[in-house]
Amino acid sequence: MISQLITYIYFFLIQIFPALGGEMGGILAQQQRFPKPEFETGYTQPSPTTPEPRLTAWEYIDVSVLVLVMSLAAWFALKRRSRKGLLWLSVFSLVYFGFIREGCVCSVGSIQNIALTLFDPAYAISIPIILFFTLPLLFTLFFGRVFCASACPLGVIQDLVIIKPLKLPQWLRKTLGLIPYIYLGLAVLLAATSSEFIICRYDPFVGIFRMGAEFSMIILGIAFLLLGMFVARPYCRFLCPYGVLLGWMSKFSRFHLNITPSQCIQCKLCEQSCPFDAIDKPSEKLSVENKKLNKRRFSIFLLLIPVWIILGGFSMSKVHSFLSKAHPDVYLAELLIEHPELKDDPENIDIQTFLSSGKTMEHLVEEAKLVKQKYFTGSWILGCFLGLAIGVLLMNQYVLRRRKDYTPNKVDCYSCGRCMDYCPVRPTSNLRKMAEGESATAKNEKGISEKTN
Amino acid sequence: MAKTNHKENNHKPPLPGDYEGLQGNLKKVSLNTAIISAIFAVVISTLLLLNYLQLAKNDPTESTTLTALTQRLADDPGNEELKEEIRAFDLMARKAFFTAKWQVKTAGWLLLICGIVLVVSLRYYFSLRSKIDLPENSQVSEQAQRILSSKWILYSGSALIIIALIASYFSVDQLKGYDIETFSENTIDESIEVIDLTNEGQTNDSGLIENEIEEPLEGSVTEPEATITTDNLQGGSQQKPVDNRSDLLLIEQQKKQSNSFRGPLGQGVFYVNNISVKWDVNSGENIKWKVEIPLSGYNSPIIWNDKLFLTGANSTERWVYCFDKKNGKLLWKHQANNIAGSPATPPKTTDDTGLAAPSVVTDGNYVVAIFGTGDVVCLNMDGKRIWAKNLGVPDNHYGHSSSLVAWKEKVFVQYDTNKGGRMLALHFQTGEILWDVSRANHISWASPILAEIDGKMQIVTSSEPSVAGHDIETGKQLWKVDCMMGEVGPSPAFANGLVFAANEYATLAAIDPEKGKIVWEDNYYLPEVASPVAADGLLYIATTYGILACYDVHTGNKYWEADYGEGFYSSPVMADGKLFAIDMNGVVHIVKADRELQKMGDIPMGEKVMTTPAFTDGCIFVRGNKNLYCIGK
Ligand code: SF4
Ligand code: SF4
Repeated sequence: MISQLITYIYFFLIQIFPALGGEMGGILAQQQRFPKPEFETGYTQPSPTTPEPRLTAWEYIDVSVLVLVMSLAAWFALKRRSRKGLLWLSVFSLVYFGFIREGCVCSVGSIQNIALTLFDPAYAISIPIILFFTLPLLFTLFFGRVFCASACPLGVIQDLVIIKPLKLPQWLRKTLGLIPYIYLGLAVLLAATSSEFIICRYDPFVGIFRMGAEFSMIILGIAFLLLGMFVARPYCRFLCPYGVLLGWMSKFSRFHLNITPSQCIQCKLCEQSCPFDAIDKPSEKLSVENKKLNKRRFSIFLLLIPVWIILGGFSMSKVHSFLSKAHPDVYLAELLIEHPELKDDPENIDIQTFLSSGKTMEHLVEEAKLVKQKYFTGSWILGCFLGLAIGVLLMNQYVLRRRKDYTPNKVDCYSCGRCMDYCPVRPTSNLRKMAEGESATAKNEKGISEKTN
Repeated sequence: MAKTNHKENNHKPPLPGDYEGLQGNLKKVSLNTAIISAIFAVVISTLLLLNYLQLAKNDPTESTTLTALTQRLADDPGNEELKEEIRAFDLMARKAFFTAKWQVKTAGWLLLICGIVLVVSLRYYFSLRSKIDLPENSQVSEQAQRILSSKWILYSGSALIIIALIASYFSVDQLKGYDIETFSENTIDESIEVIDLTNEGQTNDSGLIENEIEEPLEGSVTEPEATITTDNLQGGSQQKPVDNRSDLLLIEQQKKQSNSFRGPLGQGVFYVNNISVKWDVNSGENIKWKVEIPLSGYNSPIIWNDKLFLTGANSTERWVYCFDKKNGKLLWKHQANNIAGSPATPPKTTDDTGLAAPSVVTDGNYVVAIFGTGDVVCLNMDGKRIWAKNLGVPDNHYGHSSSLVAWKEKVFVQYDTNKGGRMLALHFQTGEILWDVSRANHISWASPILAEIDGKMQIVTSSEPSVAGHDIETGKQLWKVDCMMGEVGPSPAFANGLVFAANEYATLAAIDPEKGKIVWEDNYYLPEVASPVAADGLLYIATTYGILACYDVHTGNKYWEADYGEGFYSSPVMADGKLFAIDMNGVVHIVKADRELQKMGDIPMGEKVMTTPAFTDGCIFVRGNKNLYCIGK
């Protein structure tokens, strides 16, 4: 027990490494700001050069790797039913998409590029980014969230650190599940108004992949990994905006991983196997009373959806002014209006840049006002979207689904394959597999015995 | 089976004893590896943390010693020893910095490796002793969960809306409260103080200004009272009394100087006397001094008290020079480099324009220079940089050439480029852009002038398609007359309440700015580069094909013309009752300012001259292509 505790502490400490890596990044940034001793020696500072963008050929290689990884993942999850295969594939993705490609380009962040393209015709999006956005959605529509299982570097780094996942009560999961909708809506709003790419900016793991980032981001990354030991995939479940889209797709997925290779025998062995609480149990028999109650609630919440939409839109439109501060022009204009004395502050780089740009204050304020106008419309849409999400989520609580067997919840399941190893049922139709199945049986027996521990 | 407590291995197929031992060993080995790598990781991270803390406390890039030394150098720029010391310190700081960087990097990699070893061994360890959890015994009913979830979603959804509403109550829309007037007033107030101080200082210096204002001045045309009316500086014959005393003081002060291109207010009239009309560059007769200018440029000398300012540039460097007016000694020079936004490679210019075509402007406290790169730099009278900025590289196929003018705390830039026209006012002291208005004008090479119109100082500009007046406080265009065409080079002139503008292939127009109307027009002789000048009822034009012509300002009646054969790029100017016009070959043509043509001399400078001379204290200052001359007794 004590040794276990010690190892936990060690594990915690090891997480510090990215923080220190982060300092590296900080220092590198300082290197650029290093004061130059200049005594008019006639030496002219060489002008900075912009490095060539990554060759497009490489971007297509990234896309090919993505397709390959997802195809393999689908094969491992659906055909081979191999957790091991998925695990090693995810290690590969962590190394390639995470450490080698440094977490960029990433499908999660691509939402913003797509949003910006839709709203700013001047923004030229590259085809690989579009592919990075659409391919995982497409794969999910067919095979479930195989992207999350083994391709997404953010997902797999969390998956690999799961040690002792806790069960979260349903109400907590559902409530926290609202956050990704908010995050998605905000990210799209901020990207569409060319304000900021918050998903990238607050990507908790990118600092670890790059071995360098702001101190606070490194701390956040560690916090997520530490939390992730006990609350499996916290970012995926309670933040990831792309996960929202993937969830929608997965709900309608054509083929999806199943826990049992043939017929569920209700042995309940897999019940606790999912670290993400993504296994739906067979549905309870409801009393007539409850059935009525549910029906009534369902209709009430259905009727309430428009109310939620309007309330959401109205309340969000009220904060458009606050939200618009995310746009640099609005931020600067308001800062200068509130603190005109800052103009004389040589340390404030934003203000100094503005002053030396030759733009007038009036001009800036005009631009800021235009941005605010956009935010007003955007906030209404965001609010309506959130209202809709809340309304539908509420209604969904009372949608009655009949389930006989233990099945993965298609929306929440990351197709990680853990639960499959718990199922004692052998594939029926495949004789060759049956022969091989000797060892599988042994393993399953082992599982059964352990369960009784 | 369910009731017994088994070790996992018991349910493996029967294994040889040593295999069981091997399993146990593997468990031990993986645990030990985990522990060792963890200890290693802890040690490394502690070291790294210490390194970081030390770095945070003692950041070599923010060394106070270095800052202090640099500050000392600023006060004593010539101190070679100090420079050496700084270099040594700087090297040390760099070494410390890069060593620290190397340490962090190496340790970071070591940590990563430890991390991987730890994760792998831990995972292995846990996989060997993994267990399956029991299915939950006390099942919470699905229905109860359902109700609980919907409650929580309801709460948090409502909370979200309430929070949004509360937040909206606290967020203030700053933009709504924004008022340009109050915003810019703050800064203007401060700077007026500065100007007043200058005035006081000047008054003490000379002790004369007050008296002079009281005296009716020579040549006063209409106003007999004690206002300054001799000249163009105010609205000429139609002027209204200037209500602002500081305006009067400032005008008086500027009349003693040559603070901008073509003299006070840029009008081409110098208020001097005892100017020599006879000199000889070869024999040195009446040549007080002559010095070589380090870098060439087509900007003209600007003078304040004993200091004369010029700029020069080549394709790599741009400098501001300050010469001692009394002996021509180079007092200081300042390189306009390291300016944020300045282009790494300067824009292409033609040889007859270059990067240093615009003249500087000064108010006696600061000198502001602009270059063809769009760089503007402000120095104090000792050559110390006060501020610098780039206005955006001008898209100009010859090169930016419009000179600066200044009034009180503002420096005005006419920034007409191929990308559209702009007019800006910069704060002398801070460089802040007080206003920046866009103009519906095409590219031009003319300089703005200042003129008092309708009782108020205005900026008057000439470029295709219009001659226009801008309010100095807001930059707003107050009037315009569409009469210009082509690539306008000549700046406007002002006298007797009229604005004169001319350009080759367009017209020569006398404009009444108050009515916004053309009073008379002529197109017989038109200048291409040299600006017209007007004073005391007469207007002079100098053309690129060598004609000097004189007109009546009110009627446009031509009094005389003189064909010198060699064209004029340098603008003709009035000084001491005479017209000085220098042709491209560097011959100074002196003509009496009169309705009759009366030539007073044609004196060669011995080199090409494209710039406009300046006059103060009885001396003429001429910038040739190579040398700077001071002509006087
Ligand atoms: S939920 Fe989001 S972060 Fe998690 S694996 Fe899926 S896409 Fe990646
Ligand atoms: S595959 Fe199984 S264990 Fe993995 S997320 Fe889906 S349901 Fe959970």
